[in-house]
Amino acid sequence: MIRKTDFLTRTYDKPEGWTLPVYERLGGYQAVKKALGMTRDEVVNEAKKANVRGRGGAGFPMGVKWSFMKPHPTKPAYLAINADEGEPGTHKDRTIMEQNPHAVIEGCIIGCYGIGAHVASIYVRDELHLSKKRLWDAIKEARAKGYLGKRPFGKDYPVEVYVHTGAGAYICGEETSMLNSLEGKRGEPRLKPPFPAQAGAFGCPTTVNNLETIAIVPTVFGMGGEEFSKLSTLHGINDGGARLFGVNGHVKKPQIIELAVGVTMNELIYDIGGGVLGDKKILCAIPGGSSTPVLRPEEVVNVTDEKSPLFQWNGKSVFDVPLGVDTMRGVGTMLGTCCVTVLAEGTCPVLAMQNLMQFYHHESCGQCTPCREGSAWLDRTLQKILDGQASMADLDALGDIANNIMGNTICAFGEGTAMPALGFLRKFRKEFEQYVRGEKKGSEARLTVQ
Amino acid sequence: MPTFKLDGKEIPFEPGDTIIKAAWRQGIEIPHYCWHPGLSVAANCRMCLVEILPAANQRAMMLDILEWDAALNDYKPIKKPKLQPSCQYAATEGMEVNSDTSSHVVDARKAVQEFLLLNHPVDCPICDQSGECKLQDYWLDHGQYKKRMRDEPVHKPKAVVFGPTIVYDAERCVMCTRCVRFMDEVAQDPVLDMRERGNLNEISVAPGRQLDGHYTFMTEHVCPVGALTTKDFRFKARVWFLRTVPSVCQGCATGCNAHLDFDPRYNKAQRYRPRDNEAVNKFWMCDEGMLSYHRAHDGRITEPKVGGKTVLTTVALEEAKRVLGSVAKESIAIVLSAQHSLEDNWALQQLGSKLTGGAGVYMTSSITDGYEDTILINRDKNPNTNGVKQLAGDVKPFATLMEDIAAGRVTHVIALGGETPGGVKDLEVLGRVSSMIVVASHEGALTKMARVVLPAASWAETSGTYVNAKGMHQVADKALELEGSSKPGWQQLAALGAALGVDTPWKKLKEVRAQLPAEAKPAPSPGATPAVTANP
Ligand SMILES: Cc1cc2nc3c(=O)[nH]c(=O)nc-3n(C[C@H](O)[C@H](O)[C@H](O)COP(=O)(O)O)c2cc1C
Ligand code: SF4
Ligand code: SF4
Ligand code: SF4
Ligand code: FES
Repeated sequence: MIRKTDFLTRTYDKPEGWTLPVYERLGGYQAVKKALGMTRDEVVNEAKKANVRGRGGAGFPMGVKWSFMKPHPTKPAYLAINADEGEPGTHKDRTIMEQNPHAVIEGCIIGCYGIGAHVASIYVRDELHLSKKRLWDAIKEARAKGYLGKRPFGKDYPVEVYVHTGAGAYICGEETSMLNSLEGKRGEPRLKPPFPAQAGAFGCPTTVNNLETIAIVPTVFGMGGEEFSKLSTLHGINDGGARLFGVNGHVKKPQIIELAVGVTMNELIYDIGGGVLGDKKILCAIPGGSSTPVLRPEEVVNVTDEKSPLFQWNGKSVFDVPLGVDTMRGVGTMLGTCCVTVLAEGTCPVLAMQNLMQFYHHESCGQCTPCREGSAWLDRTLQKILDGQASMADLDALGDIANNIMGNTICAFGEGTAMPALGFLRKFRKEFEQYVRGEKKGSEARLTVQ
Repeated sequence: MPTFKLDGKEIPFEPGDTIIKAAWRQGIEIPHYCWHPGLSVAANCRMCLVEILPAANQRAMMLDILEWDAALNDYKPIKKPKLQPSCQYAATEGMEVNSDTSSHVVDARKAVQEFLLLNHPVDCPICDQSGECKLQDYWLDHGQYKKRMRDEPVHKPKAVVFGPTIVYDAERCVMCTRCVRFMDEVAQDPVLDMRERGNLNEISVAPGRQLDGHYTFMTEHVCPVGALTTKDFRFKARVWFLRTVPSVCQGCATGCNAHLDFDPRYNKAQRYRPRDNEAVNKFWMCDEGMLSYHRAHDGRITEPKVGGKTVLTTVALEEAKRVLGSVAKESIAIVLSAQHSLEDNWALQQLGSKLTGGAGVYMTSSITDGYEDTILINRDKNPNTNGVKQLAGDVKPFATLMEDIAAGRVTHVIALGGETPGGVKDLEVLGRVSSMIVVASHEGALTKMARVVLPAASWAETSGTYVNAKGMHQVADKALELEGSSKPGWQQLAALGAALGVDTPWKKLKEVRAQLPAEAKPAPSPGATPAVTANP
């Protein structure tokens, strides 16, 4: 069901919408006053009720994550905001930073208060120059007003927000890698445990939230957690509220749009995205960033367990299931960052997979063996397949490589590589074989619609 | 002690132990590259993955993977349990862990082995690590697959000089970061790090720096493969020709436990490797110590000498008898040596007390106030200062000997060991001694000025006991055959005693050891670590 909202996007089309006066005129910086009037526990409980599933990809409930923060006898706590946004196909956080930076600042104040931190660091990839500028300007404005600083809104609870620029490596979006980078270290994921809530930035208790997660916080406190959650048709399975949806790839109107949770992939592609370029059929779609396995429109939901939340869509196309954290898990993929990438019929899934694996090959931090070697081996083998140099044994090896990366790595990058690889293999094996048998040529493979 | 089960076997553990560490203490090896008992946990190689069975009320975490079904001519979705790195996972009471007995673990090891060797140059024929390489050993134990990647491997820099001692081969490197962690955590000089990413990773030295300092050899030692080699050992020997004995480093009073590796075909010492001893050197040795095996051949005294000329032993003994025959006891100094073993010193002490009544006992040594640090290196560059002190409580320092010579109170000397604390600076005063008889394994100011020199076996040629700065009695075993006419010092001293008409009846090492003062009897090396740590 499509239901448009504009909690985050209401400033998007306004002149100077990124400035403090416009933000305030549209109702900004009200929720924070409410939140600062609550106790910490009340803030966390309200956040839990909102059922905000983390917008960074893993979909962890925000309120629950906040509740992990326990005051440390000697160490300060930190809020670290993840604005590395490196996942291919994902381009939502950037719009918030550029067009509604004050929602982020307001979210940071509430978030800091909720987790017991006085400092929030926003980790932004360096090449997002406008994003950085808008955040810096917003911080300056908020500080001049006293919203940031010693006594935000008269409350004796100092909060400062900093922007930290990262050099732009996908792996620095993984939360512990981001913390290393924040500390000035090599951006390599850390071993877990300890988790950031125990020992995060500079060894102190830290909450890492995606930028969109934090930006929606003022909305949650403005309307009340439960009210917010109920906007979603998936409220019943703890997937609440509204969020930014992206649709890109071979659609007529690629865009970022804010909708209540409950929209399906078909709605997103046809009603929002204007349908597939050249009115072609959909070959497949990647639900939420390159790490999420592809879905084909022919796939139908197959759950026989009546208690399963997916049961009501049994027998329907997976493209008609509302996009949610648990619904997508139920159909064998992930919601991820909620930005759908569409591939039109006539484009090549083998080339698409190679394109993605090239990315993972390039971006693996190289720390752990299966990911370091496996990602590169996948890429190399796919290149050989496209070049017509591969044997059936090479093709068979692809599955083994991905199987052997799966679950055996330090961070989720490994699964982020293996899952889409296995997805493409399972769903397009015939196409791969055509290249091996010489029935198709890599030089003729396309990722563009003609 | 709490226990857990590893492949059905009860393993005791100390709270805080990881699975791999507890197993290691029991002498059970879980295959690993990046884990090292003396370093922090990196958990990056993924060779040590094990299957942890879920507790009774829990379900195992399962992962979706694919299997090719030839009959179906399609993929079949299957599940596998999530494995855990045993180097990182803490042991808990009653936990059940499957290692060798889990087919998933066996598969994962094979896969890691395949990944590691994917772009490996396999230049074993010219690689110094060959024969003691974890890649080779684990391929035999856990790999044994046919190579699937038949394309040109990734090329990376080879023979990169990291500093005065170490050469790096990025192609052979498995990126375990043991060397990085060693320099950071043990040497306290974080000069190494990883650069680049993905399969282009390589280890690099901090800009403007070299890999230098006092602990560079240990980077080679912790390297589980042939990526780091020492200039000292490069291309010198194939390890399978080497034999080894437990030894004790003679470089300073710390007395690091070492393996002395030697080639029996040429009677040649080839290198030291640290021998783990939690109570002394943990897993480490310093560079100076690592290089000190050269003293098995360098600067040795191997033939008897009279007046600087090589003679037969009988001639040397005759001469000793001639020069000492009519000397007043009070004028003879007995000089023990912090460079020689307890056995040699005991023999000289016996001879001295019978010859002179036990007065006038001094100690010589090499440098006693050299470089020191808080890691391993002791300022006293002698292996047995404490041994001499335990043996002869009233031993007088070398400075007193020099005073007594200068004042004419000492005219004759019977000394053990060639070296003196001042080296050439001591020659002038020593020149005033009428006659010196020196039993020594190595050259020094004393042998230079001696009338008679008798060659003693070095620490590498005979078993000897050394007492380190902590007062621990440690034995260095015999590795090499005696060079030239040398004999164990205590034997030479028995012969000298006999020539001087003194009763020196000891003939066997056993007899000497039996008479060493009670506290000076060799103790078994403390904190002996399990056999698998030969190359952890
Ligand atoms: C390889 C990798 C890359 C990631 N990149 C990002 C990213 O760019 N932005 C982000 O918010 N989360 C990213 N994540 C997820 C974060 O680790 C983390 O789960 C998230 O920031 C938590 O915020 P949330 O709970 O608000 O979603 C990435 C994860 C992995 C494994
Ligand atoms: S899984 Fe990949 S990205 Fe993550 S730590 Fe390992 S090598 Fe680095
Ligand atoms: S590191 Fe090991 S496997 Fe590699 S070349 Fe050397 S001996 Fe062979
Ligand atoms: S050089 Fe050796 S010790 Fe260092 S990372 Fe490479 S393989 Fe490990
Ligand atoms: S030994 Fe555990 S991952 Fe390397």
